[in-house]
Amino acid sequence: MRESFQNWLPRLVLAPSFLLILVFVYGFIAYTGYLSMTNSKMLPSYDWVGLANYEKLFRLRHWNTAMKNLAIFGALYIIVSSLLGLLLAILLDQKIRAEGVIRPIYLYPMALSFIVTGTAWKWFLDPGIGLENVMHQWGWESFSFTWIKDRNMAIYTVVIAAVWQSSGFVMAMFLAGLRGVDNEIIKAAQIDGATGFRIYRKIIIPMMRPVFLSAFVVLAHLAIKAYDLVVALTGGGPGRATELPATFMYSYTFTRNQMGVGAASAIIMLMMIFSIIVPYIYSELKSGENR
Amino acid sequence: MSAAGQDIALKGSRITRFVIYTVLIVFAIFYLLPLYVMLTNSLKPLEEIRGGGMLSLPKVWTLEPWRAAWSHAQIGVSPTGLKPFFINSIMMVVPAVVLSTFMGAMNGYVLTKWSFRGSGVVFGLLLLACFIPFQIVLIPMARILGLIGLAGTTWGLVLVHTIYGLGFTTLFFRNYYAAFPTELVRAAQIDGASFFQIFWRILAPSSAPIVVVTVIWQFTNVWNDFLFGVSFADFDSIPMTVALNNLVNSSTGVKEYNVHFAGAILAALPTLVVYIVSGRYFVRGLMAGAVKG
Amino acid sequence: MARLKIDNLRKSYGPVEVLKGIDLEIEDGGFLVLVGPSGCGKSTLLNCIAGLEDISGGDILIGERSVTGLHPSKRDIAMVFQSYALYPNMTVEKNISFGMEIRGMPRAAREAAINEVADMLQIRELLKRKPSQLSGGQRQRVAMGRALVRDPQVFLFDEPLSNLDAKLRVDMRTEIKRLHQRMGTTIVYVTHDQIEALTLATKIAVLKDGELLQFGTPDQIYNDPVNMFVADFMGSPSMNLLPATVVEDGGALMVSLAGHEGDMLLPAPESAAMRALLGRQVIFGIRPEAFTDPQGADRTTGQIEKRTCFVDVVEPAGSDTFAVVNLGGKSAVARLRADAQIAPGAVTELAFNMSKAVFFDPASQARVQ
Repeated sequence: MRESFQNWLPRLVLAPSFLLILVFVYGFIAYTGYLSMTNSKMLPSYDWVGLANYEKLFRLRHWNTAMKNLAIFGALYIIVSSLLGLLLAILLDQKIRAEGVIRPIYLYPMALSFIVTGTAWKWFLDPGIGLENVMHQWGWESFSFTWIKDRNMAIYTVVIAAVWQSSGFVMAMFLAGLRGVDNEIIKAAQIDGATGFRIYRKIIIPMMRPVFLSAFVVLAHLAIKAYDLVVALTGGGPGRATELPATFMYSYTFTRNQMGVGAASAIIMLMMIFSIIVPYIYSELKSGENR
Repeated sequence: MSAAGQDIALKGSRITRFVIYTVLIVFAIFYLLPLYVMLTNSLKPLEEIRGGGMLSLPKVWTLEPWRAAWSHAQIGVSPTGLKPFFINSIMMVVPAVVLSTFMGAMNGYVLTKWSFRGSGVVFGLLLLACFIPFQIVLIPMARILGLIGLAGTTWGLVLVHTIYGLGFTTLFFRNYYAAFPTELVRAAQIDGASFFQIFWRILAPSSAPIVVVTVIWQFTNVWNDFLFGVSFADFDSIPMTVALNNLVNSSTGVKEYNVHFAGAILAALPTLVVYIVSGRYFVRGLMAGAVKG
Repeated sequence: MARLKIDNLRKSYGPVEVLKGIDLEIEDGGFLVLVGPSGCGKSTLLNCIAGLEDISGGDILIGERSVTGLHPSKRDIAMVFQSYALYPNMTVEKNISFGMEIRGMPRAAREAAINEVADMLQIRELLKRKPSQLSGGQRQRVAMGRALVRDPQVFLFDEPLSNLDAKLRVDMRTEIKRLHQRMGTTIVYVTHDQIEALTLATKIAVLKDGELLQFGTPDQIYNDPVNMFVADFMGSPSMNLLPATVVEDGGALMVSLAGHEGDMLLPAPESAAMRALLGRQVIFGIRPEAFTDPQGADRTTGQIEKRTCFVDVVEPAGSDTFAVVNLGGKSAVARLRADAQIAPGAVTELAFNMSKAVFFDPASQARVQ
């Protein structure tokens, strides 16, 4: 009797987490998926409307703006953060005396809330009091930097703030990757007569492929989830110039009382993230098993 | 971390070294700039900021913005300052971190040392749950919190953060315990130790590093969360991030930038302190979150 | 102390059967070594005996008692692990006393037991240290100490010496043997090292792919292998296994194998099984020490056959000199005296001790008696 209880103990211990996740993650996904096919407005309703919400969603200019913004924001955020992270990691890997000081400086933004980041950049980029004003005071009268108030440019200020927050982290990933490169490979390349730049271009950077992949997955999923930063930095504006799917979902669900459409947009976000994450996790777990 | 890569240092002229250092320093300034802006401007009167001195040091030093941000700035409708919300955040973060870390540790222990048929599936489900966009759970969560009477309460937020933190805490502990020698568990079994005795006497004493990593990770995430706070909190439970956003975006009256900056630093302070005190573990957590397997 | 009996033991992971019906029995006070290549199931078998893995069929008896289904701690066994498995957070003393503490033994009794094994293993000065402060050999001793305090019916050793360097391994091997002689407890010992198996065991079980190939005394395993695998696996350098043909020469059975100058004939034992292979291929097995220079050959046996061979490579190894010779189209190793005068490229006479020769059927790999 006692023995069999001990045998069941591991299952019992894991059970609460399993049930919580099952209900609060997968159950909720199913529920939201179901709501996305009803005509729920302010409150959930159970009138089945099929894919009507999705059709409506893709016809909404508001949603298309959000998706277009996500494409711009996501692409720039991922590319700039990766390249900047790689550049800084390589430079920091050159026997830099002050590495112990510089590295934490590059990384600290990751510890901050996006709300804090947004607030800092919101006022720093504000033409009235921020950078532009400072430049004018310093005598550069013609200096103009009004992106945050400019419908066409505001999305790029979100990129700046997001890159500021995340690139140090990408740098740390690349630095770990660089430090993991087998010394003997580099010695072999040096004996073959390759010089510094060429060793990086031909040997080391290609070896960073797994880091690029990890960085891509992390950054892409952060981009799709991006919400707080936009709220704090621009509030989605000016107009809808910095609206992203996450802010769209929130406003349609909770302020515009279009819960069905909001649920549909959440499902689209989930599908975007899963299409990146699921293959990644699958391959990671598989290579883990082969070890 | 032996500096393997450093052997290929771009050997070269002093000019190369100079360029490298210049680029590194320029970026250090880029990363420090917002912090500098927040700090200096939180210590100067409003007129100085309006007068275009955002990048200069205060001419008149004042702690008034900090006092205002902490105890009497207008947040939403009432002039409470950020203090009550700071306390709300603490009341939310501590139980959420403790619960999710403990559950993650037990899960990691079971998944690595007592795995059973189907436990791999449970882990897969937990792992995937790390990455869901939380928008997907907002609507049903609001309903459930209402149903169980936790809507708008700190305990409701504790529940939410515990559940959605489980994936990562389990992942951390699982990866750590996977490297923990199974032979030790077997030796303890032969010594007659029970399931919980093995955990507390054998694994737990060796878990300090991963506990630190997990606690820092969870603390940072829960403290910095905005979405759940803004969706599920009432006045009595509004966390710091939401309050800061309300402070900055409240449309009444003049924009008190210096108070906003002081408030932003207050909201950032706990995680910044954690980062400064234990940056090594902080980075390790980030990496563990990024590199699975 | 007790005998250990394993009766038709089966173990599978899902559809994969890793132990395919093992039957073993070791007498009280015996030293059973389970040996085989990695993946043969020897460690799984040991874990099944310990109760760390459930079995899928069959039975395990310690003494007269079936322990199947019993918790490891209730089987009256102790185990020494490959990695030693010392609890890293506890001192040596705590490591040794942990099991007694769990069993609720009073403090005084625990201390007495610790003192006893500390003296026996000469680890008294290590008692207050943490495992991380010990050398490999010291950890090994502590791990044995932890097993010894249990005073079990059966000791289980899972490749306990594989993490030590070569010299220490030989010392600890002697020590384990001495310990066994003194305590007289039944031991089951897993290793992939055939020399360890031969030196320590009273009985050896050779496993491969979850099957018990041969179970017997070290002498039986070494001199009377039941098949080519056992012959090849046990002994170092391993047995020469050379393709030959069974022929008849003047009514006597002979084997013919390709030598230096055409085929070379060697006498084969007269048996029905051998005769059945007349005109067919057979594998001629001879250990290096039975294939030597005429001066070094065992004079007590009357079956020394001298043949001329071409020496390809000479490998002096201090105590012996090994000569690689082309025989039967393969490289055969001969073990010569250390001071044997021989040079590569030489054609010289070497002695075959045919009393030690064994023959195998190349198709079934089984011994032809």
